[in-house]
Amino acid sequence: MTDILTLHHVQKRFGSQQVLQDVDFSIPTGSIFGFVGENGAGKTTTMRLILGLEKIDNGQIEVGDVPVTFGATKTNRITGYLPDVPAFYSYMTPREYLNLCAEITGIPNRAAKITEMLQLVGLPDNKHRIRGFSRGMKQRLGIAQALLNDPQLLICDEPTSALDPAGRNEFLELLASLRGKVTVLFSTHILSDVERISDRVGILHDGRLQACDTLTNLHQQYGQSQIAISFAAPAAAQQCATVLRPTFGDQVTVTETTVTLTYQGDYTAAAQQVLRALVQADLTPTALHKVDPTLEQIFLAVIKK
Amino acid sequence: MKDVWFFFKKELLESWRTYRFMILAVVFLIFALMSPFIAKLTPEIMKMSFGDSLGIKLPKPTSVDSWTQFYKNIAQIGIFVVAIMFGGTMSQELSRGTLINLVTKGLSRWAVVAAKYLCLVVEWVVVVSSAFFVTWGYTVYFFPDSRSPHVVAGFLPLLLFGLFFLAVILFGSTLARNSYGGLLFTILVMAVLYLVNLFKDAQNYNPVSLIGDNMALVQGTKDLAKLAPGMAIAVVATGCLLGGAVAVLNKKKLA
Amino acid sequence: MNNNVQVLIKYLPIFIPLIILELALMVTALVHVLRHPHYRFGNKVMWIIIVVFIQIIGPIVYFVFGRGEDN
Repeated sequence: MTDILTLHHVQKRFGSQQVLQDVDFSIPTGSIFGFVGENGAGKTTTMRLILGLEKIDNGQIEVGDVPVTFGATKTNRITGYLPDVPAFYSYMTPREYLNLCAEITGIPNRAAKITEMLQLVGLPDNKHRIRGFSRGMKQRLGIAQALLNDPQLLICDEPTSALDPAGRNEFLELLASLRGKVTVLFSTHILSDVERISDRVGILHDGRLQACDTLTNLHQQYGQSQIAISFAAPAAAQQCATVLRPTFGDQVTVTETTVTLTYQGDYTAAAQQVLRALVQADLTPTALHKVDPTLEQIFLAVIKK
Repeated sequence: MKDVWFFFKKELLESWRTYRFMILAVVFLIFALMSPFIAKLTPEIMKMSFGDSLGIKLPKPTSVDSWTQFYKNIAQIGIFVVAIMFGGTMSQELSRGTLINLVTKGLSRWAVVAAKYLCLVVEWVVVVSSAFFVTWGYTVYFFPDSRSPHVVAGFLPLLLFGLFFLAVILFGSTLARNSYGGLLFTILVMAVLYLVNLFKDAQNYNPVSLIGDNMALVQGTKDLAKLAPGMAIAVVATGCLLGGAVAVLNKKKLA
Repeated sequence: MNNNVQVLIKYLPIFIPLIILELALMVTALVHVLRHPHYRFGNKVMWIIIVVFIQIIGPIVYFVFGRGEDN
């Protein structure tokens, strides 16, 4: 088994709105998969389909080679789910809640496992009820209940969007620490989160997965490679742009003292070309550096397509 | 099957920590205490407020008055307190999305319905039985007469009606979108049953007779066997309502 | 007056549990009002008055309608 999760031509409509046109992708075991898309693109719907919480209109989903069915699906035994706003019984303590989850999942040696989980997510093991929990604490309890059954696949719906920067950081580190142990599928619209921890990215737009690849491949395919050259004075920057335009065409832009140009192909070749042109024109930059494409650029390039 | 037990424990804890059970118990016990008290006091209050100027002589209160108060209080107020307390039992889970985590962990939906019903039944039996025994005790103490010979026969239909009534609440709550939907459904069902009861021929078949004819049963003017059709219908309806609740829940999105 | 005291003593077996129940209900509701300062409507002072001065009905109304959402 190389793919823990496979979606075959999944379609879903709500009323007259076709949310998912044809979603077709798979996630290799052990990867951290970032699921990106605008709000309302259908990320949550896709996840709920994978969990059998929504009825599929067309297509098939397999988790660990077992097809998912609506209602009580067997595949949920190997799946952990953290909803975007996890809802708990507020009158319980975290231990009581996790115990209920553990009973239902049929975990042996519950007390020890719960202690381990509470430590992992950093929640105190005391008599405080969930009622008084902050958003971040609830999120941590959410991940604890999702990981309780040692799932092979962990699905997190927008796990970081409601957290403050510190909480987000902590949460991402927690997810990253699961690498290799659990396959993680997490959705977000915060692209920097994806860049930080995921090794594969799927971009959902217009009801289809427009791109689905490793981050490196996406960079090569969609990323615009750029070089930024800085000068001491705006005049020099203008001059530089004039010099470079014949070679790099319209892709040269000037903002104040910085010239940015987009090149195709290899960086070394492009950089040499730029340096030669600068020496010929007797221009001395204060800095010249390679600008790596961001996921944001890739995302915009993909959804424009 | 195990799931039912796990969820049943959760339901018990919920009833306890949200004070629902306590409120219900207190309300029913207050009814139980008030029934013989009011029966005993009514003539004394009359006497006190009108003095001896009242021409007619008031009859001495008996155990019948005490039991009449009891069944009136439970049937007219008690069961609706139950409906208010538990009308949101399923709809709240659905609107808050608290079932999502558990269902994705493999909790079957029928087990949710079964456990909730079981918990409601346990609470009902405990609460209404304690109320019954309290009233019985005080009635025997204050009215040592032989006018109410069949005390238990009067109580059994009420106990059974509760099982039917709780199934109505649970079904309504599963159907509803918010906490008050379940209550509304229950009130609607009761209104229909009371309307049906206007037809004399239907009375023995109507579950509502189980909380209407109790005094006749207690005094022995009506035989419990006469109500058998109504009981049978209540039991069958309970089964249908529970099955319906499972069917509705199976189709429901959980958030 | 004498008559009233007689009535009171006669019904003591009912009065005592009744008063205990009322007090228990009131105290529980009062503690809840003080510890959970979020209500579906009204404010703390209002609910304290309702719970303490309206016997039986007050606490029940609070628990059913006044208590804020837990989440």
